[in-house]
Amino acid sequence: MPTETAFVATNWQSSGIKIDKKRLKQLCKRYDKPGLIYLAKWALALFVSGAVVWATLGTWLVWPAMIAYGTIMMVPGYCLSHETAHGTPFRSRWLNETVLWVTSFIYMEEPLHRRMHHTSHHTFTWHIDKDSQMPFDTPMDFKGWLIEISGISLLKYHIKELLELTVGHFSQHTREVSQVGDLPKMARGARIFMAIYLGIAIAIFMGQLWLLWFLVLPRFLGIPAMMLYGLIQHVELQENSPSILESTRSFKTNAFGRFLYANMNFHCEHHLFPQVPFYALPELNREIRDQLPEPDPGFFRTQFEVLSVVIRRSLKKNTKAKSIRQAPHMITEGGYQPIATKSM
Amino acid sequence: MSEWVHVGQTSDIDEEDLIRFDHEDGRTFAVYNTEKGFFATDGFCTHEAQHLEDGLVIGTVIECPLHQGRFDVTNGRALSAPACVDLKTYPVKLEGDEIYIEI
Repeated sequence: MPTETAFVATNWQSSGIKIDKKRLKQLCKRYDKPGLIYLAKWALALFVSGAVVWATLGTWLVWPAMIAYGTIMMVPGYCLSHETAHGTPFRSRWLNETVLWVTSFIYMEEPLHRRMHHTSHHTFTWHIDKDSQMPFDTPMDFKGWLIEISGISLLKYHIKELLELTVGHFSQHTREVSQVGDLPKMARGARIFMAIYLGIAIAIFMGQLWLLWFLVLPRFLGIPAMMLYGLIQHVELQENSPSILESTRSFKTNAFGRFLYANMNFHCEHHLFPQVPFYALPELNREIRDQLPEPDPGFFRTQFEVLSVVIRRSLKKNTKAKSIRQAPHMITEGGYQPIATKSM
Repeated sequence: MSEWVHVGQTSDIDEEDLIRFDHEDGRTFAVYNTEKGFFATDGFCTHEAQHLEDGLVIGTVIECPLHQGRFDVTNGRALSAPACVDLKTYPVKLEGDEIYIEI
């Protein structure tokens, strides 16, 4: 019989958050309707922005239109892949797993690999050598920021993992976060993905250019926005803390930002209670906000301050941000010591 | 040698919910009230030994609160990753409003 866990998982309990258990279970309730409404809004936004791309083909305006379309494809796509990896946005399991496969295909990560690696990110949030989804070295400098935002690092990781899974080679991290029966399933999923990617490449080569304009190019043009959202989840915060309040950042944003990011601006709340679906996070926030740090300022202000800090760190200047939260050791003057090496 | 142990009353468990039961010998269990009746399993998830007491019951499925691994509480079968090892289940009987599990 399994016994009490030997580790302390990073969640509400390790962070000292109190919530009425009956209320928590109400917030965890699963429905199909909110997730389906979100899917419909996403489809509509893709249709409208895709129509703008179509209308501007052949002019210079196609590029800003493509960036907008790509952002709308990639940010909600990434969020839905993340949410469905948790299994929370839909009550119907088949719906959850279908959306997981489609969005993980766009994100370019085999679905089971995504799910298993993400478990480690929640069990050991921002713990060096344990969290298998630490995407950059800490503290971050300007070079690290550029590499992160370009998506090059993530793309290399995704391609390497997909190729390795396809040939049945499993990295140390993958073996650590998975159970034996999962590995052949991951290999099969990766082979299916690779076959479809190859099919798309052949179709484009044979003249099906709409796949290039509406799938491949926007996938890459939307990556920087997706990376910017992901960046501020944990950057400048505390490694190796049992408390989510020290390792994770929530930030303020408007209704469009909440749609685009599927309420993941409530990121502390998500890490405290990963069993709560994205559509219930605003309600969860209202329930526990008096126990949380003040969320950082809006998306653009937070991004600007992070960029300012990483530039000053590279210039060996003072790295204290004006208003965003930072772990004490992130504030230095005249250089810094590396803390963590990225795990993906 | 198994024994029937009293774990509580039916009114202690809301519909589509569960309670934790800690036996004096150190073992811990989860007892469920589902649409198909009362069931009992080991208390800890087989994935990373998180107690299921804060998990979500959906129909006859218990979802672990840590990583959302799912099990069918009627037979303990692991339904979805990250859980892949089945939960051990225990017989349940009701005597009036009193719930007993055989352990």
